[in-house]
Amino acid sequence: MILAALLLVTQVAAQDPRLERLDPDTRSAVAAIADSAHGVGLPVEPIIQRALEGATKGASGARIVAAVRRLAVDLGTARSALGTSASAPELEAAVAALRAGATPQVLAHLRDVRRPPLTMALSVLADLVASGVPADSAAAAVLALAPKARDADLVEFRRAVERDIALGAPPGAATSVRLNTGAFTTDAGSPGSPGTPPARPRRP
Amino acid sequence: MFEPEDETVERVIQQLRRPVAIDAGLDARVMREIAQASSPRRRAWPRWSAGAAAAAAAATVLGAVLVARPWARNATSRADTLQFVLVAPQAASVALVGDFNDWDPARSPMQTAHGIWAKALRLAPGRYRYAFLVNGVEWRADPGAPAAKDDEFGTPSSVVTVGGRGS
Amino acid sequence: MGINKVEPSDAELVRRVRAGDIGAYGALVSRYRGRLGRYAVHMIGDHEDAEEALQDSFVRAYRSLARCDDPARFGAWLYGILVNRCRTTGARAARRRRMFVNDAQALNGAAHADQVDRLDSTDAVDRALARLAPEYREAFLLKHVEDLEYDEISELTGAGVSALKMRVKRAREQLQKYLREAEHV
Repeated sequence: MILAALLLVTQVAAQDPRLERLDPDTRSAVAAIADSAHGVGLPVEPIIQRALEGATKGASGARIVAAVRRLAVDLGTARSALGTSASAPELEAAVAALRAGATPQVLAHLRDVRRPPLTMALSVLADLVASGVPADSAAAAVLALAPKARDADLVEFRRAVERDIALGAPPGAATSVRLNTGAFTTDAGSPGSPGTPPARPRRP
Repeated sequence: MFEPEDETVERVIQQLRRPVAIDAGLDARVMREIAQASSPRRRAWPRWSAGAAAAAAAATVLGAVLVARPWARNATSRADTLQFVLVAPQAASVALVGDFNDWDPARSPMQTAHGIWAKALRLAPGRYRYAFLVNGVEWRADPGAPAAKDDEFGTPSSVVTVGGRGS
Repeated sequence: MGINKVEPSDAELVRRVRAGDIGAYGALVSRYRGRLGRYAVHMIGDHEDAEEALQDSFVRAYRSLARCDDPARFGAWLYGILVNRCRTTGARAARRRRMFVNDAQALNGAAHADQVDRLDSTDAVDRALARLAPEYREAFLLKHVEDLEYDEISELTGAGVSALKMRVKRAREQLQKYLREAEHV
């Protein structure tokens, strides 16, 4: 009776109608991975979405299963680094950061210096690396800004670095320059500092 | 009472009375929002269009208005409304496909004017992979958004992140 | 088996929510999502916008539950919130779509700016609904699809009963006209 109840409780993914887009073998493999993830408290939705992405893009069953398995493992690594209170969006962003080259230690450090949610900080780290910034430069920059920068400031930083790279700056250099000009002030108002631009108007 | 020629309208009424499918996840979203109502709010900034760079190229056609507007936040909710834009004058159809709509091309067809395709979506906090499916066959990343580097299926994708407290 | 489960009334559920049982609100959401969702979809014309309006309305209703004077009429009160929310969506969508509407189309009055996408619908009824002025569409849906009485609709919309009757009449005439045009194409 208890075993049946446990089986019932753990078969979350198996009953997800969206997985019917997969062929039966792939569906059961994905459902098993998702259910295992669910069983250890990892979010299932990112796993389902990765499978659906593969289905829509016409990927083979084997490729879908490999991608889903890899994601489940990475979610576990992310959770070990960030702790059990990390939300699903934070874990997904952490996976992106890990795959971009951030170490679990960097993630743990971020957790220690920034109030949650860490989603945007982790995403910006991953996105900087995607633009060509070396992983260690990106990590150093985000960790430097993390204690006090708002999410919007981190996004603005990333955009500024991307613009500079598009204009020809070497990615690592673009990152340090932006960081060191103090353009993204992490202090509440230091208008007297040389090189500090005027306060940016708040967005609506 | 209805006159005979109102049979047309009666037919309309019968059609409109049929049940309409509402997303099964809506109830959970409502309950989650309610449950979080008392926790301190994180500010999520309104976002500019993800394809703003491409859209700007066509701004002379439609004017600055297209690029200018980050959508005003709905004060009762933590989600953000984002405008996705792709310039594709030769395309017959463009679908926005990603983690926010189960990668289902039928869910978010984009609207077009003057070769600029757009779709606005309300997104809860999170990081979303997405791409544009042009003419049902060609996958394109968003030129104005960060690339999704872990591209395991051999086609380009992009990423958008909505800040704020996630579930 | 065969136990007849008596569903708690709206008043009872509201009472429980006010006493702190958030889960009881879930029962109210479940009870009304179908009907209200139907109205929102037909009024707004876009499924995603309609679900957004519906979700917002449920949340707003929860947050202002103290202002629901007659819990036995929670449904009607909730309708009022949704009707207003749909009006806001329509106005926003109209501003948004003005960016994309072909000028010629707009000048012809082929559709109201908030409903342009609906013209692409393969469904003639959908297209005809799109061509109604929002206040006509609203009155028509509330009267003939949602089966509300005129005095209830008056309370929800703030319009007088005779004005509402006129709007419904106009809506019926126009729908008939548009559908007959569509048949002759």
